[in-house]
Amino acid sequence: MIVVKDLVRQFKSGDRTIKPVNGVSFELEKGSLASIVGKSGSGKSTLLSLLGALDKPTSGDVVVDGVSLAGLPDGKLTEYRRRDIGFVFQQFNLIPNLSAVDNVMLPMEFAGVRKAARLQRAKELLEQVQLDPEKHSRRTNRLSGGEQQRVAIARALANEPKLILADEPTGNLDEQTGEHIIELLSSLSRDHNTTILVVTHDRSLAQKTERCFRLQQGRLTEEVRTGSRR
Amino acid sequence: MSVLARSVGNAFRNKIRTAAVVAVLAVAIGLALAMLVANQAVGAKVQELNASVGTTLTVNPAGGQGFEGGGEPLTTAEAETAASVANVTAVVGTKALRLQTSTGSTTGTTQQVGPGGGFGPGGQQATVSTNLTAAVDAGTLGNRNNASGSTGTTTQPARTLPITATGIGAEVDSTGKALDITSGTGLGDYSASEAKALVGTSLAEKNNLTVGSTFTIQDKTFTVAGIFDAGTTFGNNAVYVTLPEAQTLAETPDELSTMIVTVNSMENVDSTKNAVQDALGTTKADVTQGQRNLETAVSSLDSVKNISLIAFIAALATAGIIILLIMVMLVRERRREIGVLKAIGARNRTIGLQFVLESLVLVALGSVVGAVIASLASGGIASALIGSNTTTTAATTTQRGGGLAGAMPNGAVPGGGVPGGGFPGAGGQGGPFGGASQLLTSVTASVSPGVLAAGIAAVFAVAIIGALVPALLTARIRPIEVLRGE
Repeated sequence: MIVVKDLVRQFKSGDRTIKPVNGVSFELEKGSLASIVGKSGSGKSTLLSLLGALDKPTSGDVVVDGVSLAGLPDGKLTEYRRRDIGFVFQQFNLIPNLSAVDNVMLPMEFAGVRKAARLQRAKELLEQVQLDPEKHSRRTNRLSGGEQQRVAIARALANEPKLILADEPTGNLDEQTGEHIIELLSSLSRDHNTTILVVTHDRSLAQKTERCFRLQQGRLTEEVRTGSRR
Repeated sequence: MSVLARSVGNAFRNKIRTAAVVAVLAVAIGLALAMLVANQAVGAKVQELNASVGTTLTVNPAGGQGFEGGGEPLTTAEAETAASVANVTAVVGTKALRLQTSTGSTTGTTQQVGPGGGFGPGGQQATVSTNLTAAVDAGTLGNRNNASGSTGTTTQPARTLPITATGIGAEVDSTGKALDITSGTGLGDYSASEAKALVGTSLAEKNNLTVGSTFTIQDKTFTVAGIFDAGTTFGNNAVYVTLPEAQTLAETPDELSTMIVTVNSMENVDSTKNAVQDALGTTKADVTQGQRNLETAVSSLDSVKNISLIAFIAALATAGIIILLIMVMLVRERRREIGVLKAIGARNRTIGLQFVLESLVLVALGSVVGAVIASLASGGIASALIGSNTTTTAATTTQRGGGLAGAMPNGAVPGGGVPGGGFPGAGGQGGPFGGASQLLTSVTASVSPGVLAAGIAAVFAVAIIGALVPALLTARIRPIEVLRGE
């Protein structure tokens, strides 16, 4: 279970103080699939960074399975990212001179998974995200945007994290592949009890999540839904 | 893909840049290694100088040196007195003889003949007959010397030069330098009277002698035990026998022509010289040292050693700065990559290790090329350093070495031009002095595995620090700061 308590993140920009996240509080049950929508610059990515321990909040706290991130040292935060978090970046953030399979193997290498095991799992994950097997060994800087997106999703799934944070995961994908990725995330949530939080502009994707939050001027509100989306 | 494989791959991401970096590193590392090799070579030469000639004293009879002067001969009792002085590690006595080729009318008796007597001045040296022929022709100098003391109008018969024979108490020449025996063996027990001899290469060649051949001195048959190379034409026209044998041949069983006193360290030479002089008495012995002049030579070598050490450190620091700047540049270029690695769970030490390995790959390549450069350049650099720093010293010492021979009056030396210190027993100063410039310029630099390993280890250590510092500094910041910054 993830509990977000009055989370604030502010920056100084000259004389001004900007608060992209301003007193955000919410709870997510384990295995839930949720989305955050909002305009560009509304603080969606910043909120995701705070939840993924890529950044530290100015105030407030994120509690994951009873553990407060605010009190953790850098080493523990790294361990948290390695073990519990799967991040899908909007810009993919793959290592350009490594192959697709090597990129997917990286988080497993950091987690100490044996080479043969991580190679097998990396290939399975790339197949799950429907990347052509011929492109598994290709450097990611020679893949298309959609292919890189799929590699990024596969990498996020590598260590079977508790929480997947995805920033526009279908933004670069065609409709059919996008549908497949949404189905993949839904099945992870449903079958593996993985909590998934997706930031998106795609209303159709947001409609398919159990809960949908709207972030506006740093404040989060939940849209009221009717019926189950599972 | 392992960290190592990833680092090797990263090192070759940009091949042109990698080639440029390796080239720059190779020059810096090559220079550092060359300086280290030069430093080691000069250090070894300093040790050699100290060990060979820098700590010896020469004792001559008071008022006499070789053919000159007078006074009373040294005795074995005085050698024992010198040996008992503090800081003296060894005393080697010598007894000099002159061997004159037998003309068939040899009396068979030892002659102590003076100037004008046909053999030149007697001094401390006994003249005895031999069946050997000198390897050096009289030539203009020998015949001019022979003419001295005559009326100047009498035509002198062509003459044969004498051969130097020295009785030695250890396997050293008359200046205390170890003999270079090129074939055969030494004389074994130098304190025993034995009919064995060491013969110089040119004398052996002139008389068709090899190891095992025989010849006679004063009608006594000697067997050639070994053939030595003194390095000079004059030095190779000589015979060495054991000290007791020479004393017996000269019929002066207790006498020494000179003593070579070895002191335990260069720092103690001055004080020990005075102590030996006091022990033997100023009326009995003259104690001389070559150390003071060699101190200048050693000091010059030491300065070269210091220069090469400073240059090594400077080149090493340059290599370190190059690595540091390159790694700072690489890390800055790949801040986003570091941020991504952190975001997906890489520890700081994993990131640091990756960049360290990457820099080590570059340094390893630079070291290989640098080692080749060093092996080609170190000899030349060492020679250049020695040449530019020892010209003055070498000139001074060479002049002093030649000065002893030049100081001898015409006709005093029975034979053609004596180089350096003249005959053995002439003070023993010519050898060390005359050889100083040769010793200085004979510094040879070679890349020993130990020196190479030490130099490369130092470069690698610098590379590790150079890579680790910027990588860890970047890895310590929050991932989002790097990712957002891009």
